[in-house]
Amino acid sequence: MLRYLLPFVSFSAMALGQAVELTNPRTSPEDVAAGAKTFRSHCATCHGIRGEGGVGPALAAGRFFHGSSDDALLKNISDGIPGTEMAGLFYSPDRVWQIIAYIRSLNQNPRSEVPGDIAAGNALFQSNGCVRCHRVQGEGGRLGPDLTSIGKSRSAENLRDSILNPNAVVQPRYWVFEGAGKDGTAYSGFLLNEDTYTVQVLDFEERLRSINKSGLSSYKVKKDSRMPSFRKTLNDGQITDLVAYLSSLRPKGDSE
Amino acid sequence: MKLRTVFLAGLVAWCLPAQVTYERLKDAAKDSGNWLTYSGNYQGWRYSPLDQVTRANAGKLKTKWVYQMSTTHTVETTPLVADGVMYISQPPSDVIALDAETGRQFWRYRRVLPAKINTCCGQVNRGVALLGDRVFVGTVDAHLVALDAKTGEVLWDVQVADYKTGHSITVAPLAVKDMIVCGISGGEYGIRGFLDAYDPKSGKRKWRFWTIPEPGQPGSESWTGDAWKTGGGPTWVTGSYDVAQNLIIWGTGNPSPDWNGDKRPGDNLYSDSAIALDADTGKLKWHFQFVPHDVHDWDAVQVPVLVDDEWQGKPRKLVYWAHRGAFYYVLDRETGKFLTGKAFAKQTWAKGLDANGKPIRLPNIDPSPEGTYVWPGVQGATNWYSPSYNPLTKYFYLAVWENRSVYRKGDQEYSPGNRFIGSVPLIDLPEEPGHGAIRALNPKTGEMIWDYPLHTKPWAGVLSTAGKLVFGGSDEGYFFALDAETGKEVWRMNTGGVIRANPIAYMSQGKQLITIAAGSSIFTFELGK
Repeated sequence: MLRYLLPFVSFSAMALGQAVELTNPRTSPEDVAAGAKTFRSHCATCHGIRGEGGVGPALAAGRFFHGSSDDALLKNISDGIPGTEMAGLFYSPDRVWQIIAYIRSLNQNPRSEVPGDIAAGNALFQSNGCVRCHRVQGEGGRLGPDLTSIGKSRSAENLRDSILNPNAVVQPRYWVFEGAGKDGTAYSGFLLNEDTYTVQVLDFEERLRSINKSGLSSYKVKKDSRMPSFRKTLNDGQITDLVAYLSSLRPKGDSE
Repeated sequence: MKLRTVFLAGLVAWCLPAQVTYERLKDAAKDSGNWLTYSGNYQGWRYSPLDQVTRANAGKLKTKWVYQMSTTHTVETTPLVADGVMYISQPPSDVIALDAETGRQFWRYRRVLPAKINTCCGQVNRGVALLGDRVFVGTVDAHLVALDAKTGEVLWDVQVADYKTGHSITVAPLAVKDMIVCGISGGEYGIRGFLDAYDPKSGKRKWRFWTIPEPGQPGSESWTGDAWKTGGGPTWVTGSYDVAQNLIIWGTGNPSPDWNGDKRPGDNLYSDSAIALDADTGKLKWHFQFVPHDVHDWDAVQVPVLVDDEWQGKPRKLVYWAHRGAFYYVLDRETGKFLTGKAFAKQTWAKGLDANGKPIRLPNIDPSPEGTYVWPGVQGATNWYSPSYNPLTKYFYLAVWENRSVYRKGDQEYSPGNRFIGSVPLIDLPEEPGHGAIRALNPKTGEMIWDYPLHTKPWAGVLSTAGKLVFGGSDEGYFFALDAETGKEVWRMNTGGVIRANPIAYMSQGKQLITIAAGSSIFTFELGK
């Protein structure tokens, strides 16, 4: 008897699954504002005040490890995620929907609004040395951030600013360690990790090196970017094309 | 300690039934082979009289055994050791009994928890209490559970508070006389804090001291309106016990909401305080509030260190206390009177302390919508991890943070079970991570004796020993031994996991061992040849 029942149960479950798939009914600007307020007091401690991440994962990029649908977000925020530090909330679904509306609002950099010639920007990217340090789809250097999905996580304005003022914001991952060994050896590279006794770097020849601080006579960490400004190298039109190209770099399947 | 004495002590321990009596707890300071209570003794010293491991031989320390837990939560447990058995908590709220010699498991108690539990800072547990032949553990769903020390079987399980209103238990209970004293967590959820005492046989509550007084009670004048109902004042770190005075001395946490004090004008007693309670009745004998009307989340959840020593030429009962707000205090243990205080880390919020120990606040230090930079940071200049007092060096040791935070303020309404904090600060500044240190202070003055700098901010407590060593750990995963007189490093080992727990020392088969939780594991070290 059981075997004959199974197809019926599966079909019912599928039908039920489709029936309960939820989408966010609270997406007005007022909902986003209300969600921001709740996010700030309940979520920001771990996920960062702008969803940039911290103890918990970054949310602003729009990728969620435990399900990206509205339905999954509602469940994970309401109930928490077992096996992680993510706790649930004792709030009505309406209020959780507002949080979801706010989280979604962090991730809206529509491609269509960016002017410029993408192909020309790509050519500039190849010819101006960008590719020596940056990787796109597995091609390029490792000394700068991987830009494969940069258009998804950064606005066009932010990308333009990074090209013109690379020192404005330098992520700690790209701070540069410079040390002088007691034996006269010079060490330098991107600071990957540091503790009380040792330093781990990626040097400028892309070698991973670990250095004992006890062997150094001095060292410092420079927080300037290794990337030059392109303010004088490229004209306004070229910068616009380059930004258009970078904005076009999005994860596969991203429909926006 | 002579070898013969060690052998006899070991033999006697093996022959005795595993009964942790109050008499043994009272004299725990002399019971060097065991670690019977959270801080090693009632005085809160985290000091071991064992002296086999010394500054001269600590370089030979090596791993004896490792026990790997099954948990994804941060391990903050202080192990207890009684007569060859080690009792540890595994977060969220499990208990495991191990052979202290080999690390092999005897039994494990698994706590089945509700799906939705909110704790401010992880589902953690700091350890168990032992009394008689029972093990006591608080759970994150706010129950207190008694287990059979031989089997792990549940003997009773009582609800201390409702977890759905943000109550949880992360503290290691304290066994005192015929009571299990247990605190509560939930200062970020608008609870009304308390400290409880329970009958170890039945689980029946003997007394409750509300850390936030209700209208009409002494201290209620420090509150306005109904703010006391959600006033905070949790009790989430194990206190100490003054046997001679029969006083339980315990620290209380922040008032709620943490970073917005607009709706709770007043000093907000007894938040951020040392409270001294009559152990038999739970009645308040004295209190000392470190931060009246706190708006920075600087809980007074440090282990009170109780020392009898000379003060200005006369014997006096003292409390040593390095508080989260970056000041070190000496209090009179009979009255709670402030005797002296001094900053032990950088702070930018107070000009100093007045004659009564109250902070002389500087202007523009309160949280603001745009953010206010203040030293120390939200996690304080020290926190819940234990300090140590060594009667041989007469120094006070502690792990220190040097950092600042951006304190932001916002509106927030109370909603049961949800956070009630008044916005959220930027706790760690990405480009200004701060650093840490292990420090030795002259406990009579608060003057720094030595400093062992750490690149990162430590979450691990310190242990000092009669071998004139101080053991400490770091978030980097290093466990190390320092010369207790100079701070010079004599040994270190990379455990490979963050250390957010307190070390202990005990004796097994005639050898001194040192244990610390690191990552998701328990590491025990011995002297190599």
